[in-house]
Amino acid sequence: MRWSVLSLSMIAAPVMAASGSMIRNDDLRESPGAGAAVVGHASKGAAVEILGRQSGWTQVKSGGKSGWVRILSVRSGSADSSADLGGFIEAGSKRGDANRAVAVAGVRGLSEEELKGAKYNAQEIALLDLYKVDRVIAEQFAVSGGLVARQVAQLPSPQAENGKARSKSSKPTVFQEEGI
Amino acid sequence: MKRIGWIIPLFVIGIAHAGGFDFKDILKALQKPEPATPAAPAPAQGAGAQPGQTGPAAEKPGDQLLKALTMGKTSESDEVSIGQQIAGNLLGAAPLVKDEALQRYVNRVGRWVALQCERPDLVWRFGVIETEDLNAFSAPGGFIFITKGLYRKLHNEAELAGVLGHEIGHVVRKHHLKLLQKSQGIAALGSFFGQQAKEGPAFLQNLIGNGAEIVARGLDKDAEFEADRLGLIYAARAGYDAYGLPSVLAEIGHTAKGDARVSLLFKTHPLPEDRLNHLSEAVGDRLDKLPEGRSDESRFYHLH
Repeated sequence: MRWSVLSLSMIAAPVMAASGSMIRNDDLRESPGAGAAVVGHASKGAAVEILGRQSGWTQVKSGGKSGWVRILSVRSGSADSSADLGGFIEAGSKRGDANRAVAVAGVRGLSEEELKGAKYNAQEIALLDLYKVDRVIAEQFAVSGGLVARQVAQLPSPQAENGKARSKSSKPTVFQEEGI
Repeated sequence: MKRIGWIIPLFVIGIAHAGGFDFKDILKALQKPEPATPAAPAPAQGAGAQPGQTGPAAEKPGDQLLKALTMGKTSESDEVSIGQQIAGNLLGAAPLVKDEALQRYVNRVGRWVALQCERPDLVWRFGVIETEDLNAFSAPGGFIFITKGLYRKLHNEAELAGVLGHEIGHVVRKHHLKLLQKSQGIAALGSFFGQQAKEGPAFLQNLIGNGAEIVARGLDKDAEFEADRLGLIYAARAGYDAYGLPSVLAEIGHTAKGDARVSLLFKTHPLPEDRLNHLSEAVGDRLDKLPEGRSDESRFYHLH
């Protein structure tokens, strides 16, 4: 199965549980949806088993209880793997991904030196220009993919919000200070 | 967490409409002399000012653009010219993948996502570039790139939409342009004025530094977090599954940190774990009522 918690292929192959951890507190619900009955709670940092996904919800098992939490409340891998390379190596070996090891050893990334030394390529810019599409084509493409535009409000910055909660005179962000 | 319906004005946007400055024609004229040849001679030392052009009497177009930049009054056409120089340099390091169907597909997805942003009428250009590195780039004025390596990691169109949405966010908020403004502000204090060529593509090249270095320089981490929030929302607005971008971040997070393919990405961005944490906090319960979006897995263009 795919390794990523959030991967949609979870739907196709919800066979084995992946391990994960809670990255924020969330209620365990009976079914995927904010209106569903709360059957428990999973705290930030708690280890969970990831069972599946539906829409914006992930089914987890935590402390013997299973339920649904918001998809962004949980992530795959162990709780401390963010700061710990060991966590990744362990996870990688669990996956038995031989290609990964080869890639680490063999593939060179795009280096800073290459970027610094890069020279303008007019032919490639012309090609890039050739492939661009206008609004009408993009809209037709959306229709053919069953995509319908919808109104969704932008997400405020959590820091700015926290700052407001603490004090009325919240500190301006770096960008505000630039005064551009 | 309470749902709130307004947007915190994180960035003061006042750059787009240059009050007293409009360099559209000037820059067009500047770009004409060397259309077909590589338009960017080596910067700095080699591009010394020509005799008779450094006099203090007449203000050079380059000086004017610099002044506009440092004053935060760059016009949209200036922005596009700067972006094209950066994009052309980046393509010099990593050209487009020679797969026309792929490029046309990515442009359709990208243009549709860009139609949901605050600058829907920019001329947006998207490209998949030939490198196994896992990364995506943007340049001012609507130039967006995703590497072949990162494209290979994607599973569906919603994930592509999320990645392109993040880059679109950088362009909308003019993150790189502001970085240039900051560095030019500093340069202007030193010997920059009057010392370097202020004509033609050489000037533009001097402006952006060496090659495509600016894309390797990295932005403020708050700019990256903001682009994540924007990218997620643009993809959601476009009708896609909103969790495509987080899914890609989770996938990248599982790449070994010593892997050369992510060294530039990890150097210039907060770690994927931190970005996921940030998105998690930013989203909270705000998307609870959002109907499920599409992933359009079936028409996702797979690389050979």
